Amino acid sequence: MRAAWAVALVELRRFLRDRSNIFFTFVFPLMLVVVIGAQFGGGAGSGRVVLTDESSTLGQRIAAELDARDVTVDVGEAGQARETLARGRADAAVFIDDAAAAAFDAGDPVQLDLVLASTSGSSAVAQQVQSAVAELDREQAGVAALVQSGVDPDLAQDAWWDGEGQVPPARVDVVDVDDVSQAFAGVTGFDVGASSQVLLFVFLTALAGSATLIDARRHRVIARTLAAPVSAGSVVAGQALGRWVIAFFQGTYVMAGTSLLFGVQWGNVALCLLVVAVFSTVAAGAAMAIGAVLDNEGAASGLGVGLALVLAALGGCMVPQELFPSSLQFVASLTPHGWGYRAFAEIQRHGGTLVDIAGSLAVLAGFAAAVLALGSLLLRRSIARAL
Amino acid sequence: MGQDGTSTDVVQVQDVTRSFGDLQAVAGVSLRIAPGETYGLLGPNGAGKTTTISMIAGLLEPDSGTVQLCGEPMGPRHTKIRSRLGLVPQDLALYPDLKGRENLNYFGALQNLRGKELRARVDEVLEVVGLADRAKDPVKEYSGGMKRRLNIAAGLLHRPALLILDEPTVGVDPQSRNAILESVEALSGEGMAVLYTTHYMEEAERLCDRIGIIDSGRVQAEGTRDELIHLVGELDQVRMDGTGDLTAATDALQQVPGVQRVDPVGGGLVCAVADAPVHLAAIVTAASAHLELSDVEITRPDLEQVFLHLTGKELRD
Ligand SMILES: Nc1ncnc2c1ncn2[C@@H]1O[C@H](COP(=O)(O)OP(=O)(O)OP(=O)(O)O)[C@@H](O)[C@H]1O
Ligand SMILES: [Mg+2]
Repeated sequence: MRAAWAVALVELRRFLRDRSNIFFTFVFPLMLVVVIGAQFGGGAGSGRVVLTDESSTLGQRIAAELDARDVTVDVGEAGQARETLARGRADAAVFIDDAAAAAFDAGDPVQLDLVLASTSGSSAVAQQVQSAVAELDREQAGVAALVQSGVDPDLAQDAWWDGEGQVPPARVDVVDVDDVSQAFAGVTGFDVGASSQVLLFVFLTALAGSATLIDARRHRVIARTLAAPVSAGSVVAGQALGRWVIAFFQGTYVMAGTSLLFGVQWGNVALCLLVVAVFSTVAAGAAMAIGAVLDNEGAASGLGVGLALVLAALGGCMVPQELFPSSLQFVASLTPHGWGYRAFAEIQRHGGTLVDIAGSLAVLAGFAAAVLALGSLLLRRSIARAL
Repeated sequence: MGQDGTSTDVVQVQDVTRSFGDLQAVAGVSLRIAPGETYGLLGPNGAGKTTTISMIAGLLEPDSGTVQLCGEPMGPRHTKIRSRLGLVPQDLALYPDLKGRENLNYFGALQNLRGKELRARVDEVLEVVGLADRAKDPVKEYSGGMKRRLNIAAGLLHRPALLILDEPTVGVDPQSRNAILESVEALSGEGMAVLYTTHYMEEAERLCDRIGIIDSGRVQAEGTRDELIHLVGELDQVRMDGTGDLTAATDALQQVPGVQRVDPVGGGLVCAVADAPVHLAAIVTAASAHLELSDVEITRPDLEQVFLHLTGKELRD
C-alpha cells in the first residue's frame, strides 16, 4: 500500500509541475464559471429576439410579453430572421406564420417554431420566450373559459386585459407554469454554471492528466517500478489513486472558488463532496484507460479534452439538461455527467438529501466501478506489453 | 565461488529461454554470480542481453528455466525478493520533469526507505555518482551522461545484493563513462554482485571478473578474460621498431623461449609470443644485440578477437 501512495504522490507532483495544468486547473474553470454564469444570470435587459410577424394579434401579444421581460424585439420576414440569427445579431427567432396567427385568433392551440442562435445568451432568451408564450397560453385559456361561461368574446378579452393590467406580467424567475423555470427556481445562473463546471472540469483535468501515464510508460519508469518490491496491483492502485486525487481536488477547488468568489450556493456541502468523490472515480478510471491504451501524449490530450467536452455537453453541463428535448435527455442519462448533474440539481435547487440523490449516486457508482475496472485491466495489460 | 556454484551465489540462472513469437531471443542461458563478483555479459545488438536481464530481474517470465536470487525463486509473481535487486535499465527510466532528488526519493520510497534513512541514502548515492550539486535540477536539464549516472544511482539506493547494469555507458562522454566505471568498481569492492552487460569489450575487460560471451541468445563461452583468450589460443604480439640487422635479430628471437613466430613488418619485427610480459625482457635483450630499438609495443589479443573466433562476427556492427 505504501508503494501505491508513492506512485500516487509522484503522479500528483508531476501534475503540479506542469505549468499549463496549473492554468487549466486553477484559473480556467473560474473564468468559465463567469462566462456561463453570465449566460444564465439575471435575465433582465438581456437578449434580442426576431419575430417574423408583428401585424397579427399573436405577433403583437408575443412582442408585448417579450418587451415586458426587457427582451429587445425586432421584426423581419422568415429569411431575414434566419440570416440575423446566423450572423449572431439576435439570440432567437420566433416564426409566426398566418396559420398560427389565425389559430390564435380562433382560440385554437398554436404551435410556434423557436430557433436559437449560437450566442452566449440564447439559452436564457429561450427561457424568456417560453415564459412569454406560456403567459399567452394562460390568457387564452382564461378568455376561453369566460367565453364558455357566456361572456361575449370581445368583452372577455377586455376583461382579461383589465385584470392583467393590475397584475404585473410574470417574470421568468417566479413563473410557475413552465417546467424549465420551475427547474431553475431559486438559483442564479452562477449556481447552475458552477455545478456544471465541477463536472466538466473534474473530467477534463483527469483526462488531460492521462498524458503523464503515457509519459511514465514511455520512460520505462513503470517497468522500473515493477523491478522494485512492488506488485503490478500496487502500481495500478497508485495510478488510480493519483488520478482520483487530482480529479477530486479539481472538483472541490471549483466548489470552493465559486462559493468564495461568486457566492454560489452549494446546498449540503457534504453531499456535494460525495457526488464529486464518486464522479472523480469515474474520471480517474477513464483517464487510466486512455493512458493505458494510447501511446502518444498528444493524441491522449486531444482525445481526453474532446471526450470531456462531448460528455459534458451531452450530460447537460453546457446547456442545462432541462432545456433538452426528451430524446437528448435520454442521451444525457447515458453519461456520468448526466447523473452528476441531476444529483447536483437535487442538492442545490431542491435541498435534496442523501435519499433523494441515492438513485443518481448509485448509477454514478456503477459507472465508477465499470470504468475503473476497465482502466485497471487496460493498464495491467499495457504494463505487460511495455515489458 | 562463482564457478563451482555454491549456495553463496547471489544469483543462479538455470537454462532460461524466452521467445517472442517465432523469434528465440534467449535460447538457454545459465550463469551464477558470487558476492563481490562482477559478471559481464558481452554481446552485440540483439544478442539477448536485455531479455536475459529482464528475466533475472523478474520482469519477464522465462518460457523455461529458473532464476534464483539469494536462494529464493525470482519471477513476475515474486515481489518481495526484488528488494535484493538493483536494476539499472538500458533505457533511462527516470521522470524527466522531476528533480534528480525527487526521482531518487520516489525509487527509494518504492524500496520502503523513508524519512532520515531515505535522505541519507539519497545523499550517499548522489555522492557516489557525482551529482550532489545537481540534485535540485530537473532531470530534463541534465546532460546525457548525468542522466545515465542518475539512472545508476536509482538502482543503488537500497544497497541491493545484486546490481544489474544494462549497457550503462551507452551514449556517454569519456569523463562520465570513467566515473561510471569507477563507481561500479567501488561497489563491487564493497561486496555487491554485479551483472554488467555491454558491447564494449574494454569495459568488460576492465570491470569483469568473469565474462560470458553471448550471441544469438546463447552464452557461447564463459570465463575470466585470460581463460577466454586462452580458449582461442591467440598469441600476444611484441612489435619492435629499430635499425640494424633484421635477419640476425629474427634468428636470435626465434631462439627465445615462448616466441613462436617472427615476422618483419615495416621498419621492424613482430614476434608472436605465448605470454609476452613474462618473456619481454629476454625478447628485448635478444633483439637489442642486433638492432638499435626505437620502440617496443605489446598487443595482447582481446575479446574482440575471441568474439570473432567464436561467432564469426564482429562485436560491433
Ligand atoms: N518485447 C519484445 N518483443 C519482440 N521481440 C523482442 C522483444 N524484446 C526483445 N526482442 C527481440 O529479442 C532479441 C534480443 O533482444 P535484446 O533486447 O535482449 O537484445 P540485447 O542484447 O539487449 O541488444 P542491445 O545490445 O541492442 O540492447 C532481439 O532480436 C529483439 O528484437
Ligand atoms: Mg539490450
